[in-house]
Amino acid sequence: MGVKVELRKSYYEAEDNKKSRARNKAKKAFMLDVSFEMENELVVLFGQSGSGKTTLFKCISGITDPDCGNITVNSKVYYDKNKKINLPIQKRNLGYVFQNYTLFPHMDVRKNIECGLKNWNKESREERIMEMLSLLQIEELEKRYPSQLSGGQKQRVALARALAPRPELLLLDEPFSALDKGIKIELIEKIRSLQNKLRIPLLFITHSLEEAFILADRVLVMHGGKVQQFGTLDEISYHPENRRVAELTGLSNIFDDSRVVGYDEASRSTVLISGDLKIKVNSLKLNPGDKVSWGIHPEDITFLLPGSEDQAKNIYQAYVSSVINKGPKKKITVKLIRHHKTLTAEVPAHFVDSLKLGAGDSCLIKMEMSKVIVF
Amino acid sequence: MISMLDQILFPLSITLWIATISSLLVLCSGVVIAYIFARRDFRGKGLAELLVTLPLVLPPTVIGYLLVILVGKNGFIGHLIFNVLGTGIMFTWQAAVIAAYTVSLPLMVRTAQAAIETVDKELEYAAYILGRSEIETALLITLPLAKRGIFAGLVLSFARAVGEFGATLMLAGNIPGKTNTMSISIYSAFQAGNNELAQILVLILVLMSLLFIALTGKIASRRKFEV
Repeated sequence: MGVKVELRKSYYEAEDNKKSRARNKAKKAFMLDVSFEMENELVVLFGQSGSGKTTLFKCISGITDPDCGNITVNSKVYYDKNKKINLPIQKRNLGYVFQNYTLFPHMDVRKNIECGLKNWNKESREERIMEMLSLLQIEELEKRYPSQLSGGQKQRVALARALAPRPELLLLDEPFSALDKGIKIELIEKIRSLQNKLRIPLLFITHSLEEAFILADRVLVMHGGKVQQFGTLDEISYHPENRRVAELTGLSNIFDDSRVVGYDEASRSTVLISGDLKIKVNSLKLNPGDKVSWGIHPEDITFLLPGSEDQAKNIYQAYVSSVINKGPKKKITVKLIRHHKTLTAEVPAHFVDSLKLGAGDSCLIKMEMSKVIVF
Repeated sequence: MISMLDQILFPLSITLWIATISSLLVLCSGVVIAYIFARRDFRGKGLAELLVTLPLVLPPTVIGYLLVILVGKNGFIGHLIFNVLGTGIMFTWQAAVIAAYTVSLPLMVRTAQAAIETVDKELEYAAYILGRSEIETALLITLPLAKRGIFAGLVLSFARAVGEFGATLMLAGNIPGKTNTMSISIYSAFQAGNNELAQILVLILVLMSLLFIALTGKIASRRKFEV
């Protein structure tokens, strides 16, 4: 059971209508080269635009054909180049919610949902429509036309329509990109609870880190048509496989000038030299002499009460070079006093206030060994 | 001596009859052709589009001449018709329908094709994914969303069929009580110096044309569905 995808397809970056023809011609071709397996879980496809996420959806749904490979959903083969199987779109039992809803503008909400219930008899069709309306809490919208709905309502209707024919797989292509934040979070929770209830594999495209973090059981990080990493949130944010993943998951303090110098038995940690900074990390799969990069999430830098530097515990003296307000958080840029390194940290605003930290103040920062990321 | 009223009513009724039959044929075939041109790619599509559009720019007499070659007794289609019906169709109202159909088809195809092309393809994919076949999707989604364009094409085609002169004259002739349509009657009344008849027929055609304009204007102002 579950979904198994293995395919290659050359594709172009999404067309921008405003671009002139000449510029379109100069578009760069990419090669989508993806292989993954998933169970009845919620997987977020995460990557920047142009990383091939939508092209992958089009291949799975049958809107376009891969160059080669195979796609299997719940032991039903959708596509297999070698066996010459290519199930028509209509026979692939999946739900697809497009980025811009694609509700049929000339049909009311009820007719939109009904459209997918082709071979159902009248009674079960009625029942299913009612079930979907109540599942998405849109009963009162039954007779409205799409032009009379708000963005959030359209999205609910699109979900109801996609789920009505009991799909075996649900594909959601950036469904929330055009919504206000409040509605977005409400709908994200709705999708989570729907997935828990329906227990079908659900693939969700987003380029928003925040959405990925709230939603995902696992995240498939894509870039340039390739899967960079497929793992849990903890895996992609604390054990990124490469710099690309580290950057995409919001790691901003990245240093490439490091090398492994040894292993410290006492604290069971690996020691890195980064420029003239000695730092201890938890990664054990490293050998002395390895050239590595390391980084730390801004949220994982902690500020201690003034005291003395203790490199054995990753505690360093620094001074604050700037403090920027970011709502309930503050972004603090610190410079390590003895080592030529600049780091950015994000800490709760009340914490900064209680420490009375301002530009020019000296401080003591700690980078918890387990939070230092090496890749 | 035929009464004046008959001289007006017969051309009017035969013209409306020819235009109606021709427009129905144009509607049925034109929408299918427009859908295929808008949504399918095939070899020779450019040539097919050219052939359908050609009557729009060809001089009516040239169209008439080509049609005579085609449906005349020795023509390919004419021969076929003769074998089936046992009689030719040159100089009958059916011939006038063929002439009207040929000149008005491109108007329908062009207008409907443009309307179909503006329908978002993603809506069609959404319907396919919901299990709807291509024909179902065309009938449920694409054509209803393009209906304003299709209707505009129909009005244009009807108007063109009503006004058809050159090709009709060559194919159906000017046989009183048989193929003397409005346009042809105006010409022959004018030639015969019957200005009174010509003026009445002209007035009727002008009024009909105004009606068409009003009709298309009304469609254009109707509420458009927003996505």
